[in-house]
Amino acid sequence: MATTQENPLLEGLPLAQTPEPCLLVVFGASGDLTKRKIFPALYALAFRRLLPEKFAILGAARSDWSDDDFRGHMEAAVREFGRDEFREDVWDRLAEATSYRSLDFADDEAEEELTRYLQHVDEESGTQGNRVYYLAVPPAAMPTLVEDIGKRRAAQGWTRLIIEKPFGYDQASARELNELIWKHFTEDEVFRIDHYLGKETVQNMAALRFANGIFEPIWNRQFIDHVQITVAESIGIEGRANYYERAGAIRDIFQNHMLQLVALTAMEPPSDFTADSVRNEKVKVLKSIHTPGPKHVVRGEYGRGYVEGIEVPGYREEPGVDPTSMTETYVAAKLYVDNWRWADTPFYVRTGKRLPRRETTIAIEFKRAPHPPFAEAAAEELRPNLLIVHVQPDEGVSLAIGAKVPGLGMKLRTVHMDFVYGGAFQVEMPEAYERLLLDAMRGDATLFTRADEVDEQWAIVDSIVAAWKRDRPAFPNYAAGTWGPPSAEDLLRRDGRSWRHH
Amino acid sequence: MATAVHLEEWTGENVSLAQIEEALFTLRRESCEETEGPDMRTSVMTHVAWVPPQWHEAAWTTLEGMAERHPSRAILLVPGAADDDELAARVQVAAFALPGERRHVAAEIVELRLGSERARSPASIVMPLLISGLPVFCRWRGRLPFGERVLEDLTGLADRLVIDSREWDDPVGDYEHLADLFDTVAVSDISWRRTLPWRVLLAQEWPEVGRCQELAVNGPAAPANLLAGWLRSRLDRKVKLVHEPADELESVVVDGRELPKPTMEPLSSSELLSAELETFGRERVYEAAVSAARRE
Repeated sequence: MATTQENPLLEGLPLAQTPEPCLLVVFGASGDLTKRKIFPALYALAFRRLLPEKFAILGAARSDWSDDDFRGHMEAAVREFGRDEFREDVWDRLAEATSYRSLDFADDEAEEELTRYLQHVDEESGTQGNRVYYLAVPPAAMPTLVEDIGKRRAAQGWTRLIIEKPFGYDQASARELNELIWKHFTEDEVFRIDHYLGKETVQNMAALRFANGIFEPIWNRQFIDHVQITVAESIGIEGRANYYERAGAIRDIFQNHMLQLVALTAMEPPSDFTADSVRNEKVKVLKSIHTPGPKHVVRGEYGRGYVEGIEVPGYREEPGVDPTSMTETYVAAKLYVDNWRWADTPFYVRTGKRLPRRETTIAIEFKRAPHPPFAEAAAEELRPNLLIVHVQPDEGVSLAIGAKVPGLGMKLRTVHMDFVYGGAFQVEMPEAYERLLLDAMRGDATLFTRADEVDEQWAIVDSIVAAWKRDRPAFPNYAAGTWGPPSAEDLLRRDGRSWRHH
Repeated sequence: MATAVHLEEWTGENVSLAQIEEALFTLRRESCEETEGPDMRTSVMTHVAWVPPQWHEAAWTTLEGMAERHPSRAILLVPGAADDDELAARVQVAAFALPGERRHVAAEIVELRLGSERARSPASIVMPLLISGLPVFCRWRGRLPFGERVLEDLTGLADRLVIDSREWDDPVGDYEHLADLFDTVAVSDISWRRTLPWRVLLAQEWPEVGRCQELAVNGPAAPANLLAGWLRSRLDRKVKLVHEPADELESVVVDGRELPKPTMEPLSSSELLSAELETFGRERVYEAAVSAARRE
């Protein structure tokens, strides 16, 4: 795409946002992620005409499919998971740009053939050698693919690599993968996905903090009592025993989504909103997180219980799970960010499966007013001010404040002032993958995780996991449909606090 | 277009602003009683519309199509539709369902029919009804009465003036007066928004379009002249316009070569106005196009 200096007609047009011509190669194209997220996101971008005019998609996977098989599967996926109405003309344009190659990633000859095919697509579609490789494959397949793509990168145009989580299994394996990547690619060619960063409400955390003069002066240890971050799921492992048995809650959610939410909440204001400025500030927070001692971390595993009125099996009864499994499905921790702004302010974080409801929130609890001049009985219902960022569901922000109950006496109650996204902005929010795919095509890495962030995240996780090796808790220790093990309540009760339960 | 889950209405002849404010309060309360809890008022602006009687029906149609998308307070001013110093009102509170939400979101519409005396200084009537702290968008139906006090009065309180120059008999003649307003208030033109798919197509013709000598447009005068003005101002040179009148923008021909038709579906009047209500600040590219619309 020409710049507005080269083409003065572009100024003010949405075209200026369109990425340059490119070829998107999706490895793992027959998998669930491609079906549920990647193709519905591509359709949504095509629907809004945000894809470049010269654009092609190549799906590659082991499944023995033809181009038409692949298009058929993806059309069904778009119809089922897309957020927009299905329009034949939009789909036809996308389908025309889509092809598929059946491929064994370990087969050198097949890789050579794929390279020749990509050159052919480049010539046919005018994508100029610009390639986005999306690695939606299991971790074990990652090194081979990175090596192959690196060795066979196009002679002209740019190359970008989108890598799905999990990025490594621990700090050592993540470092090994980074070393391999850096043999062939520079850091600004690598886009490590944490899809939470693509969510509107997560980005709104930056808007809330840095676009409003009223919050930043009180966003510190002087005014904030503590922070609670909850990433709760009511679902179980949904047939992913193979992955989950190895990952557990700490690698599935805590290492990436949870620590990103902590970093966004605690970071200093960046000087600008460019990729490096934002990521520099997040890394500083991760480096400042004090390694939590064993007493500050709680893990749990769910047993049989009730979710939404239906009896559900315990984790050890899930298909594919070891009946004596010690994999944690719940983690809670008290973290401290050791810097001037946050010293001694606890960040209580928790994540788990089979909790009573699906909820991701960041709750900032402020210190109580120093001397409310009301009778004790009048203010007994009054709670401290609480600012809650609802990441999902009911996306928005609410602020709990004290207000007088109408009447002759002076009785105070806590009321909520709500900003609900769906109420103020009557537009559907884009799915995280739409934003992230488009950003990667444009080369904007702000919402992707940099290597040093991943490194710091694993350092925290490794220290927690190392401590776990020294004891063997009695699992299962919480019933499905409850808010986790009793020891998680104790974690806050010891500090005279309690978890938010609604 | 979504239908309101429920709608409360109050009307009154020869009313005061206090009665209108009270009606809004009562209707909101009644609306809440219909649902489980209070309706949300998540306003992002006050939308004022100056609607001479001949535009009345069209204005309501547009408004009904966008209340759900912009659940704010809309104030319709209908001049000359009441006796001299009379103020008549129709107040509505409509609740719309939100996907995935238990609560509803409320939109408020206040139609004020102004006697000719009252219509001289409409800002003084509107001011007490504005939602404080939020931007004011003023949609002016029909031709702008350039130089008249009523225009100065309402643009004085608006952050953005929204017009459709296609509603004018002689848009090219009036663009000169319109340009004089640009330093006073930010202006949006729905006719300009209609040219967007064609501007995208033209921009994609770069660099050939950069040498364009003649633009032939089959469509209404306003968008045709705005397209030509846009090319002249962006390319900073003369471009001849050959205009063939038609009800809608049907074709654009650059130096004898016809552009393919845009694939985007044309927007409805509600969608067009909604899009303008999401724009803030001055639109310099549009202003330059207006100024150049009169130059060959």
